[in-house]
Amino acid sequence: MKLNKNFDRSLWVFHLNTGSCNGCDIEIVALLTPRYDVERFGIKLVGSPKHADVLLVTGPVNRKMLPRLKLIYDQTPDPKAVIVVGTCGSSGGVFYDSYNIVGPVDKHIPVDVYVPGCPIRPEAIINGVLKAWLKLERIRNESNKAKVIETAKEASS
Amino acid sequence: MQYMKPEELIDFLKKELKESLLDIRLDIKKEGIKQKENHNIWLEIKREKLIDAIELISTLHYPHISIIAGEDNGENVILTYLMSIYYGEEGKEVCLNIKVKLDIKEPSISTITDIIPGAQTTEREIKEMFGVNFVGLPDMHNIFLPEDFPKNIYPFRKNQKGLDDLIQK
Amino acid sequence: MAKSSYKVPIGPIHPSLEEPMTFNFEIAGEKITSVDLAPGDNHRGIEFMGRNRNIIQIIYLAERICGICSVSHPYAFCRAVESAANIEVPPRAEYIRAIIAELERIHSHILWAGVAAHELGFDSVLFLSWKVRENVMDLLELLTGNRVNYGVFTIGGVRRDITDEHMPRIKQTLEYYKETYQKLEDVFLQDPSIALRTKGIGPLSYEEALNLSAVGPTTRASGVKKDVRQDHPYSAYADMDIKAITPEAFSGEVNGDVFDRIIVRLLEVKQSVEIIEYCVNNMPDGDILSEKKLAKLLGTLKKATGEGVGRHEAPRGEVIHYVKLGEGESPEVWKARAPTYNNLMPWVPMLKNQEVADIPIVIASIDPCIGCMDRVTLVDSNTYKQEILTRDQLRKLSVEKTRRLLQ
Repeated sequence: MKLNKNFDRSLWVFHLNTGSCNGCDIEIVALLTPRYDVERFGIKLVGSPKHADVLLVTGPVNRKMLPRLKLIYDQTPDPKAVIVVGTCGSSGGVFYDSYNIVGPVDKHIPVDVYVPGCPIRPEAIINGVLKAWLKLERIRNESNKAKVIETAKEASS
Repeated sequence: MQYMKPEELIDFLKKELKESLLDIRLDIKKEGIKQKENHNIWLEIKREKLIDAIELISTLHYPHISIIAGEDNGENVILTYLMSIYYGEEGKEVCLNIKVKLDIKEPSISTITDIIPGAQTTEREIKEMFGVNFVGLPDMHNIFLPEDFPKNIYPFRKNQKGLDDLIQK
Repeated sequence: MAKSSYKVPIGPIHPSLEEPMTFNFEIAGEKITSVDLAPGDNHRGIEFMGRNRNIIQIIYLAERICGICSVSHPYAFCRAVESAANIEVPPRAEYIRAIIAELERIHSHILWAGVAAHELGFDSVLFLSWKVRENVMDLLELLTGNRVNYGVFTIGGVRRDITDEHMPRIKQTLEYYKETYQKLEDVFLQDPSIALRTKGIGPLSYEEALNLSAVGPTTRASGVKKDVRQDHPYSAYADMDIKAITPEAFSGEVNGDVFDRIIVRLLEVKQSVEIIEYCVNNMPDGDILSEKKLAKLLGTLKKATGEGVGRHEAPRGEVIHYVKLGEGESPEVWKARAPTYNNLMPWVPMLKNQEVADIPIVIASIDPCIGCMDRVTLVDSNTYKQEILTRDQLRKLSVEKTRRLLQ
C-alpha cells in the first residue's frame, strides 16, 4: 500500500487493557523486541492517552473498566483512531453470558479498525496499526484541505 | 519427621474424630509408566467440628490450603476444603479434601484463619459468592465483585434472582 | 499524625501492559507501613460462564484465563475431569503434555526476567531476554500451531503428535538454550547492578511463606520446598525424580528476597531443559488419545458422575481445578484456582518497611498474573496527604534509585 507523501509524523500508541487474558498484550509488547521492532517505523508506545494518536484496546469490556475506557477515550486528543485487538474486543469471543462483562468495545466507543485473532500474531497488529495510520492521514489531509479552501475564500472575498 | 502411611492416617482420623467424621475414603491413582501411587483422602465432617479436625491435622504437619470450593445443591451449601500435608519430600504428599455441609437458609461456619492465616482470600471469596458467614473473619470489603454490586445477590447460588438483568450477551 | 493515602492507579506489572490494578499505599516518609488487598478489575466471571458450557468448551475457556500460562489451566482441568470420570490417558500423550508444559515454563520465566529488568530500568536486558525467548516461541508454534493458546489438550490425551520430523528442531532449540543459559546467568546473577537493587529487598521469611500457603517460586525462594512435581508426582513427572529448587543450590544461603526469586526462576529454566531432554529420549510409542471420536467422548462425559481434583505446577506455582460431574453436559461444580491467588497475601509482609521506589520490583517479583487473578489495593497510613501516583511515576522512582545506587 502506498503511504501518503504527508506521512512525516510518527505514530504514538496508547495501550489499554479492559480485562483481557494478556495473550494479546504480550504480543503487543513483543512488537518492541528485536524480532519485530516497530520503533523503526516510528511507532511508539506512550504512557499517557494525552500524547497518543492511536488507542489500542484489548479485552472484553469489564464492568469495572467501562468508566475508565470512556474517560481515556475522551482524554485522547483528535484526530485519533481506535484499534480493537483480539476477538474478545471485537465480538466477545469465548466470553458471553457473564454478569461482569458488558459487551464488545464498539458498544461504548466508536472503533476504526478490528484485528481479530485469539491471540493475534504480532504481524497482524502491525497491519492493523498501518491501516489506522492511513485513515488518520486521510482525516488530517481532509481537514488541511478544508482549511486551505477556507483561507482561499477569505482571501478572494 | 514421622510420616504415616495413608491407611494409618485414615485409622488415626477415625479414632480421634469418632462420630464427627461422617465419611472417609481413600483414592489411589497410579501415574506414569512406572505406576507410582498418588493418594487422595476424601472426608466429610460435621460443621461444628471443623476447627477440631484442622487442629488435629496440624499436629501431624502444617497443612497447605489450596482453595475452598463451594456448591449449592438446593438443600445445603457444601464447602470442600482442598488441603494437603506431608509436602516437602518426594512423593509423600497426601491430599485431604474435607467436605462440610451447611444449612441453606443460614449458612455459617467458623473461620480457620486463626490456624491458617493464608485461608483469608478464599474465605472472603466464598462469602461474597455464596453468602456464607464466616464467624470470626473480620468484615472486609468485596474481594472480586465490584464495590457497587448489589448487596444480597450471590452469583453462585442456584436460584439467585436478580442476576438476569446483569448478564449481557 | 497525618495520614497520607497515595492512591496509585497502577497499570499492571508488565511493561506497558495496562492490566487493571489499583494500589493504595499509605506511606511514612519513604517507607510503606501497611497494605490492604482488594481484587476486582479483571474479574470476568469465568466459573459462572462455565455453567453454560459443555466440558470441551470449558477447555477452551480455561485456556483463556491467562495468556502466559495458557497450558497450565487446561492441564489441571483435563486431569480433574479424567480423575472424576476415570478416563485413562495413554503414556505417549502424558509425555507430550509434559514437554509442552516445560516449554511454556521456559518462555514464562524468560518473559518474567525481562519484565523484572525493565522495572529496574535495564531496558537493554528486556530486549535481550525477549529475543532469547523467541526461539522457544518458534518451537511452540511448530509443535502446536500457535504462539499462545495452543489448543492441544483435550480429555483423554492431546490432539497433536510430536513426530520424528520435529525431533531435530527440538534438539536444536535445547542446544541453543544450553548455550545461552550461561549468558543469562551472567547477566542476572553475576552482575553487581542487579544484585545491588534486589538483595535484601522484599523479603518473605520461611514462617510467613508457610503460614500464608504461598506457592511456586515465591515460596521456594523462602526455603519452603513445595513443588507439585516433587510432592505429588503426576503424568510423565512420576517417572523422573524432580527436586524443588531453592536458592541454596546457587548461593549457599536462603534470604527470601527478590534476588533469591531470580535465582530460583533461572535455575528452573535449566531444570526444564533437562526434563524435556529426558522426555524426548524416552518417549513411549502408542496412541495420543484414549477416545478419538469427539461425539463418543461427549457422550461418555455426559453419563459420568464423580468428583476429581487436578493439580499442576505452573510457572507461577500450583494450579488446582476441582470438578464435580453430574447429569447433563455442564459440570455441577467447577472451581479453578490460579497460583497468584495464593501469592496475594504474601505481598503484605513483603512490602512492609520497603521504600516507595522498590514497589515495582517487589510487586513484579511474585510474577503476578492478574489475568489469572484480579486486582490489588494496598493501603498504608502515616501522613494526611492525598496524592495520586501513576504507574509510570512509580517506575521512574525505581529507575532513579537504580541510577543513584550505581553512581
